Amino acid sequence: MNLPQTHARTEADRAVEVNLSINGSDVALALPARVTLSDALRDHLGLTGTHVGCEHGICGMCTVLVDGEAARACLLFAVQLDGAEITTVEGLGKPDQLHPLQESFGRHHGLQCGFCTPGFLMSSYDLLTHEPEVQREDLPTELSGVLCRCTGYRNIVDAVDEVAQAHRGALPGPANCGQRTLVGRTTATAATSAAVGAERTDEEELVERPQEIVLPAGDPTIHVDVTSQLTSAPDEVARVFGDVRLLARCLPGAELTDDLGADWYRGRARIALGPMRMAFNGIAHIEEQSDERIVMKGQGKDTGGGGAQARIVMTAAAADDGGTVLQAEADVFLTGRIAGFGRSLAGDVSRRMFQEFARAVDRAASGEEPTTDAQPPRAFSLLVATIVDRARQRLRRLTSRGESRR
Amino acid sequence: MKAAPFAYVRPGTTADVVAELSRDGSKVIAGGQSLVPVLAMRLGRPTQLVDINAVPELRQLARDDGSLRVGATVRQRQLQREEIGAAVPLVRLALPWVGHREIRSRGTVCGSIAHADPSAELPAVAACLEATMVLTGGRGTRQVAAADFFTGALSTVIEPDELLSEVIFPVAKPGDGFGFGEFARRHGDFALAGVAVRVRTSGESVDARLTCFGVSDVPVSVDVSPHLRSALQMTGPQPSRADLVSALAEHTEEVAEDVVSTGGDSHASPAYRRRLISALAAREVSRAYVSARLSRPEERS
Ligand SMILES: Cc1cc2nc3c(=O)[nH]c(=O)nc-3n(C[C@H](O)[C@H](O)[C@H](O)COP(=O)(O)OP(=O)(O)OC[C@H]3O[C@@H](n4cnc5c(N)ncnc54)[C@H](O)[C@@H]3O)c2cc1C
Ligand code: FES
Ligand code: FES
Repeated sequence: MNLPQTHARTEADRAVEVNLSINGSDVALALPARVTLSDALRDHLGLTGTHVGCEHGICGMCTVLVDGEAARACLLFAVQLDGAEITTVEGLGKPDQLHPLQESFGRHHGLQCGFCTPGFLMSSYDLLTHEPEVQREDLPTELSGVLCRCTGYRNIVDAVDEVAQAHRGALPGPANCGQRTLVGRTTATAATSAAVGAERTDEEELVERPQEIVLPAGDPTIHVDVTSQLTSAPDEVARVFGDVRLLARCLPGAELTDDLGADWYRGRARIALGPMRMAFNGIAHIEEQSDERIVMKGQGKDTGGGGAQARIVMTAAAADDGGTVLQAEADVFLTGRIAGFGRSLAGDVSRRMFQEFARAVDRAASGEEPTTDAQPPRAFSLLVATIVDRARQRLRRLTSRGESRR
Repeated sequence: MKAAPFAYVRPGTTADVVAELSRDGSKVIAGGQSLVPVLAMRLGRPTQLVDINAVPELRQLARDDGSLRVGATVRQRQLQREEIGAAVPLVRLALPWVGHREIRSRGTVCGSIAHADPSAELPAVAACLEATMVLTGGRGTRQVAAADFFTGALSTVIEPDELLSEVIFPVAKPGDGFGFGEFARRHGDFALAGVAVRVRTSGESVDARLTCFGVSDVPVSVDVSPHLRSALQMTGPQPSRADLVSALAEHTEEVAEDVVSTGGDSHASPAYRRRLISALAAREVSRAYVSARLSRPEERS
């Protein structure tokens, strides 16, 4: 365990600054001392994989690793953990490459409603790393720190036993940890504000211009690669590429609010998806701009506690029919509640947005107003289009399968 | 289930901890495994928590002159895991019964003793081993014997502005043997009744000390040397564990009669607790005696 730094007295109505490493990412939070680690993870960082049941240490739903050892997140005040390393279930496996324990719980039907599963995964990870020789008959006692109201435990014991036997002494570590930007709902500056109980509502909070936008290492949350055929000619598209303000107006929901000079811009984007409303305030830097290529990086914070960073490359090339082929490639890194929101749906929505963007560029290139709707939280139609798309794909898959069978 | 607001401070020295404790309404937070549930249920509302985890000297875990000194922030799981903990085998026997791994990762040895829950294992271990509690306050440091330390349920002689800075456990000697057992409804729950035992053998002499918990507001220690000796008279000095258990059972009922002073609760009546103590005592005194004999150099060859 790391020895925490000393901390001067903070009054009950003030926020305390806490520095944590969560799934490999450094996070600075400012929160009242009475906020538990489980609430900090869920409410301030959008990491809702850590569940909360009893909130007084009995049920084990909130089990996470603190400096490599399983602990109850509801029995720790976040402030006590200054300098600690936390691993949550989000850090254990990647969506497309689950941890062996996650695989095994699935295979053995070790979950029904799934409410207890993060707790069992973290507790059994701790068990198998510290006591790799654990025997099956000891598992019920060793796993007694987490309760399950569905499975009857037998399948859970089977799932853990299989991994114990398959990986004695060599259990793979958490695979989804790495430097990412976790953007808290409360920022370090809030430490000086007296009204710490109130949640931040000022959507207009300005994002400082950094020296450089550094993208996190590791795989992006979403990778988008969209190619669209435009009817406008390459030189018309070049005109749009050369005018950042016009280009910004082509992005659905986006708005350029400030030109900071030296190719830095401040802006805003609004997205609504079903019941979700997201408003990003962000900053963008154009790194390369020519008639046929634009490279930009952006980063933004969602007022609801999430964050996004992206690198976008757009290229325009002449097409055979006199039009233009527009290709947009983007690596998007999401954190907070939007990251929790299904990755594939988020990817589909982004792809849709780029398709709309391409159409808007086409309109702008031909001298029309790029967007018909100035403040477009048109995500409802985006969502419908996404769902229709998926249905179509599925249908296509079904029919092609039918064909190959013939 | 959220704690009421409190002021928070994390000093870097024992002196600063003690200074902060002199503020009205202050409470020490060590592992928080007993305190946070109390705060969450708002059974207690301290105005300030003094976090002792940044004080380097309170992390000490060291052996000197036949004793093991366990500092205030030494975690239960740490003592279970680290080699040095083997010097006090009774603590090692008791720790797996304290809550669950997840609780022991954070919960401290001293915190459990300071909290003084009548059903807790570590206060009974401290009482059985006649450990010494070191209390540090504004007026200096004092040492209190376990027998004088626990004053009632959740009550000790610690003054509000004092810190239990360390517990000193005597290290086991050759010829010592230990036993520990308890009965709980579910693993990790507080015990309905439990016993900790130390048996000392040297030459021809045999001593046995039994500490019972969960049956009174404080751990209750009894000298059961006469009972063990008369059981050994029936079995001879090298009995099997099973034979010694039966011989001891003749005596432990009467011991249980005296130690159980709780009025009973919805989980267990006093009579049931007496039966538990009687059975556990026979079993664990027997285990302790057999392991005491095996720990003697001349028996080991
Ligand atoms: C689900 C669950 C099951 C549990 N089961 C058991 C069990 O079976 N057996 C058992 O014994 N315990 C059990 N516990 C309690 C656990 O063992 C605690 O770790 C222990 O009782 C307190 O240690 P702590 O370091 O967490 O103390 P804290 O919770 O930090 O403090 C407890 C109290 O002691 C005071 N205190 C702590 N340290 C000091 C000190 N150095 N000087 C002065 N005062 C101090 C605090 O002010 C507070 O009043 C359980 C807890 C939970 C949540
Ligand atoms: S929510 Fe933490 S143990 Fe139940
Ligand atoms: S799967 Fe439902 S509580 Fe365990």
